[in-house]
Amino acid sequence: MIKVLFFGPVVEHTGCNAMSVAYQPGMSLQNLRDQLAVQYPRAFEIVCLVAVDGHHVRDLSMPLADNSEVTFMAKFSGG
Amino acid sequence: MKEAVRIQSDDFSQDEEIRALKATSLRIGGIATFVGCARDFSEGREVTQISFDAYGSMAVSEMSQLRLDAIAQFKLLDARIVHRICTVTAGENIVFIAAGAEHRAAALDACRWMIDELKVRVPIWKKEVTPEGETWVTSHP
Repeated sequence: MIKVLFFGPVVEHTGCNAMSVAYQPGMSLQNLRDQLAVQYPRAFEIVCLVAVDGHHVRDLSMPLADNSEVTFMAKFSGG
Repeated sequence: MKEAVRIQSDDFSQDEEIRALKATSLRIGGIATFVGCARDFSEGREVTQISFDAYGSMAVSEMSQLRLDAIAQFKLLDARIVHRICTVTAGENIVFIAAGAEHRAAALDACRWMIDELKVRVPIWKKEVTPEGETWVTSHP
């Protein structure tokens, strides 16, 4: 399974802050994003940053490992 | 002594943080600090509260790396970063950053750099509560 996390403004559109998605061998971050964007189009309008296992990832072609933690995030506004 | 990088709900003591920074080296000749606090007004609207959400583990990890990057880049003797994750009202503290260096220029430059970097690297989001409703802030000048 892939653990998916959402925070702050993204949660407003997903209605939840965590979910599990079935892992498919060979799936990429882009595949996961595309799959979730169909379910939550409003959320993915504001998603512009992605982290895998707590690290920023810019290359969405990155293959995912089973049990990864993937976070789709809106622009930060701390400070 | 408290960790040099933290997220916490409680307020921080600037005196305590500066004392901790000074305790790390007697070579420190200049300390620059930044305190971010809550305004009661934003983009033409009254703001009654600001609440924060964070990806806690990643936020601490990014802030820790940011501190190490600042120490290396500006040759600091030490630095501290504390960010509150809670709901605050106008005037309350949000974030504290301190940079200690041998001389003032490095401390001042590093302090400015750290708050600018925090805003783009650290997964924290703020929501402004106004009489008209609540709005997540998506831009941060």
